[in-house]
Amino acid sequence: MAHRITTSLVSALALMAAVGTAEAKTVCYVTAADAHAYATPANEALSARADELGLEVLTLSQNFDVQTGTEQLNTCIARKADGIILWPLDPQAYIPGLARAQAAGIPSILINSPMSEQANEFIKSFTGPDVYEEGALAADSLSDAMNGEGSVIVIAGQAGNGTTIGRVGGFVDRLKELDSKIEILDTVNADFDQQKALVASRDLITRFGDKIMGVYANDDTMARGFIDAWKEAHGDKPTPPIVGINGQRDAFDSIRSGEMYSTIVQSPVEDGKLAIETMANILDGKEVDARLPIPLTVVTKENVEDVEPAF
Amino acid sequence: MSSASEPAQGTGSRFQRNSAMLELLSKAGLGLAILVVILYGALSSPVFFTTGNMVNILTSMAIVGIVVVGMTFVLVVGGLADLSVPATIACGAILSLALQPSIGAVPAFALAIALAGFCGLISGLLVGYVGINPIIATLGVGTIVLGIVQAAVGGVIVYGTNPASADFVKSRVFGIPTIVLIFLVVTLVGHFVLGRTTWGRWTFATGSNANAAKASAVPVRAVKAGAFVITGLCAGLSGGLLGLTLQSARPLVGTGYEFSAITAVVVGGVSIMGGFGSVPRAIVGLIFVSVLTNVMVLEGVRTPTQGFVLGLLIAVAVAADVALRRRGVA
Amino acid sequence: MDLLSQFVRYRVGIILGLTIIVASALVPGFFGLTTLSLGLDRASTIGLIAIGLTVLLIAGQIDLSVGSVFALSGIVAVTLQPSLGLGPAAVVGVLAGAACGAFNALLSVVFKVNALVATLATMLIFRSIAHWLTDSQPVAGTDIMFSITLAKIYLNLFTVRSAMFLVGIVLLHIWLTRAVAGRNLFAVGSSAPAAEASGISVGWTMAAGFIFASTMAGVAGVLQSLATNTGSPVFGSELTVMVIAAVVVGGTRLEGGRGSALGTLGGVLTIASLTTAMEFSSVPAYFQQVVAGFILILLVVLDRTVKPRTRAHSAGAPAP
Repeated sequence: MAHRITTSLVSALALMAAVGTAEAKTVCYVTAADAHAYATPANEALSARADELGLEVLTLSQNFDVQTGTEQLNTCIARKADGIILWPLDPQAYIPGLARAQAAGIPSILINSPMSEQANEFIKSFTGPDVYEEGALAADSLSDAMNGEGSVIVIAGQAGNGTTIGRVGGFVDRLKELDSKIEILDTVNADFDQQKALVASRDLITRFGDKIMGVYANDDTMARGFIDAWKEAHGDKPTPPIVGINGQRDAFDSIRSGEMYSTIVQSPVEDGKLAIETMANILDGKEVDARLPIPLTVVTKENVEDVEPAF
Repeated sequence: MSSASEPAQGTGSRFQRNSAMLELLSKAGLGLAILVVILYGALSSPVFFTTGNMVNILTSMAIVGIVVVGMTFVLVVGGLADLSVPATIACGAILSLALQPSIGAVPAFALAIALAGFCGLISGLLVGYVGINPIIATLGVGTIVLGIVQAAVGGVIVYGTNPASADFVKSRVFGIPTIVLIFLVVTLVGHFVLGRTTWGRWTFATGSNANAAKASAVPVRAVKAGAFVITGLCAGLSGGLLGLTLQSARPLVGTGYEFSAITAVVVGGVSIMGGFGSVPRAIVGLIFVSVLTNVMVLEGVRTPTQGFVLGLLIAVAVAADVALRRRGVA
Repeated sequence: MDLLSQFVRYRVGIILGLTIIVASALVPGFFGLTTLSLGLDRASTIGLIAIGLTVLLIAGQIDLSVGSVFALSGIVAVTLQPSLGLGPAAVVGVLAGAACGAFNALLSVVFKVNALVATLATMLIFRSIAHWLTDSQPVAGTDIMFSITLAKIYLNLFTVRSAMFLVGIVLLHIWLTRAVAGRNLFAVGSSAPAAEASGISVGWTMAAGFIFASTMAGVAGVLQSLATNTGSPVFGSELTVMVIAAVVVGGTRLEGGRGSALGTLGGVLTIASLTTAMEFSSVPAYFQQVVAGFILILLVVLDRTVKPRTRAHSAGAPAP
C-alpha cells in the first residue's frame, strides 16, 4: 500500500509539477460547518476515510460564512496544501481563490454543493449530491403525488443561500420543463428553521386554506414545521402531500404515518467518503470524472422500510 | 461605573418628567397604529378576522413574548440589551429535551430554565458588579454559552422523547393554546414585579439615575444583575417551551430572538436609556409587530422585504417617541 | 500592585504576544512570510471596519449596521461594473457606504434615536435593500483577473488590502494623538455637554463618526466584492460582532472617550492570530468561539479592575 502511494506520488508530481515531499500528503478541507446535523457526519466520514488512505486532512470550518471560506481558501494555498476540498456556500465567490489554487498547482474539488459554470475550469471534479438535482427530484415526486396539477406552497431556506437557490431553482425549472399544471402560490423563506416554518405555515394556511394542495419544503425540518401548523389548524384532517429533503429520521416516521409524502435521502457519510476518495485518486495521478454524484434516493411509503435515514 | 446609563444621563432626565398626558399620547399613537394595521388587514384579507388567525398571532407572539418581558427589565434598569438571548434559548431548548431520558420531563425542564438563569447571573454579575458594558458582557457570555452548548451536542439534532410533554404544550384550554396562557401568566407576573413591588421601584430608580438610587440605599448592583437573571430565566423558559413544541432542538434555535425582543420593547416605547417603560407597553409593541408581520405574510410580502418594513418601523417609532417627548418638555 | 497595573496597561500587547507564541508553537511555519502576509490580509477586512468603529466608539456611539453596509457596498460595486467600469463602480460602492452612514447619522444625531436602536433598524433596512437589489442571488463581477491581482503579495508581505489597513491605522494614530479634531473626538465621547460647552460641535462630530464608520465598512465591502468577484446579500452577517469584539479587546470603550489606533491594531491582530492558530490545530469552530469569548471578557474585566487608579488620569485629560 505504502509502496503504491510512493510510486504514484512520483507520477503525480510529474503531472502537476507540485512541490511535495515523500511524506503523507495534506489535503485542505474547507467545510461548511463543524456542528451541524449534516456537515458533522460528512466531516467525520471524510476524516476517517482519509486515515485509511494515508492522507493528512486539515479541516477548516467556515461556520456558514462565505467570507471566512474565501479567506481559508487563500490560507490553504499559502500553506501549499497538496489538494483542496471545498464545500462552497456561494456559487461565485470562491472562483478567484480556486483560480489561484490552480495557478499554484494545487488541485481542487467541490464537495456537496455545485458552483456556477465559470468555476468548472478551475476544479477537477464536483462530488456529492446536487442541490439543484434535489429540487428537480422533489418536483417529480410532488407531481406524482398530485397527478401533475394543483397549487402548492414552497417553504424555502435562507434567502441568498446557495442550497436554497439550488433547491428552489431545480424545483421551479423542473416544473417548467414538465410543462406542469402545478402552480406555486407563494414561496416563503424560513431559514431552515422549524419554528420559523411553523409560524410562516400558520399564516400560509390561513391565507390559502384549501388552495394548498401540496407543499415543497427545502428540508425536512421545515416540513415538520408545516405539519405541526396543519395539525393545529385542522386537527386530524389528512395533510396535503408534503415533499421534503434530507431524509431525517423523523421525516421517515412522518412518511410511515402518512403525514409526509416523500423525502430525498442523501447520505452525509457517502458525501464525505466520495470526496476524499476522489481527491486520493487525483493525487495518485488518475483521471477523475468532472461530476461524481452520490446516490439520491427518493423515499416514499413504498421504500421507507428499505432505506436508512441520513441522520 | 454606571456603565451604559452614563452617556445617556443628559437625556435620561427628560424621561422622568414626562407627564401623564404625554404618556397617554405616545401610548395612543401606537394603539392607533395597531388599529390601522388591523383595519388594513381586515379590508385586504377575508381570513384576517377569523378566530384561527387571531389564535395564530397569539401563538406566534408567545415564545418571543416571554423573552420580551425579561428584556423590558433589562432596558428599564439601564442595561441596554441582553444579547445572550440566543444562547440562553438554546440552553433551555436543548437541555429540556436532552435531559428527558435521564431525569424525566419536568425536572429536565426546570433544570434547563435554572441553567439559563445561571447564564443570566454571570452576565448580571459582570454588568452589575464588575461594571462591564452590557453589550460586551452579554455578547461574551452568549458566545461562550453557545459554544459550550454546541460542544455538548456536537452536530446532532436533539429530539424529544416524552410525547406527553409535547401534548401538554400543544394542548388548549377553552380554545386558547396553553403556551399562550403561560405567556400571559409571565406577562402578568412581570407587570406585577415591575409595577407594584419594591424590586420594580428599585429597577426604575436604578435606570433613571443610578447614583441617586445608590444614595437612597437602593442595592443598585443587585438590581442590575437581577434584570439579567430575569431575562435568562425568561429566555430559558421560552427555549424550553420552544423545544417541547418542536420536539427537536439545534444550537442555533434561538438565533434572532434577541433582536425580535428588542424590536418589540423599543417599538412599545420603552426607553433604551433606562428608567422608563412598562411590561404592558412592551407587549403592545410586540402586538403591533406581530400583527404587522401577520398581515405582511397574508399579503405575500417577500420575506427579506419584511426586514425593511420592520427596520423602518423601529426607526420611525423611536424617532416619533423622542420627538413627542421633546416637544412636551419644551 | 504596580506590576499588575503595568500588566493591565499593556494587556493587549501581552495577550497578543502570548497568542503569537502559542500560535508559532502550534502552527509550523507561522512566522513564514506567506503565513504572515496571508494572516494580515485576512485580518484587514475586520481591520478596515475596526478603524471606522474605533472612531465612532470613541465618540460614544455604536454602529450595528456595518455588516449590512459591507454587503450593500459590495453589491453596488459589482452590479455597476458592466455600466460604469470597475474603478468608478468601486467608488460608487464606497459612496453608497458613506450614504448609509449619513442615514445612520440622520437617525441618531438629528432625530436623536439612540445609536444602538437606530443602527439595529438600519441593519435590517440595509440588509433588506441588499436582498432587494440582488433578488437574493449572488451577483458576479465582470473581471475575474482583477480579483486575482488583488490577492497579489508585494514586498513578500503586503496585499493591497493589508497595506490599506496598516496605512489606515497609522493615519488614525496620528490623527487621534496629534490633530485637534482627534482630541475633540475624545472630549465628545467623554462628556457631550462639556464638549458642547467648550465650543465643539457635538452633532457634527458624531455625524462625521457615523459616516466614517460606514465608509470604512463600504471600503472593506467593496474590496471583498472585488477579491471574490461577487456581491452577495448574505455577506458580512457575522462581521459586526467580530469587529466590535476586536475594537473592545483593543481597549476602546463602548461608553466613549477612550480608545486608540494601536489598541485596535492589537485587538485585530490578536483575534486574527488566534483564529489562525486554532484553525490550524483543527480546533472546532464552537470551541474557537468559547476561547474568543473568554479573551473578550478577560480583557474587559482587566480593564475594569484597575479603574480606580487610571480613572483619575483619564478623566483629567479630556476635561477643559
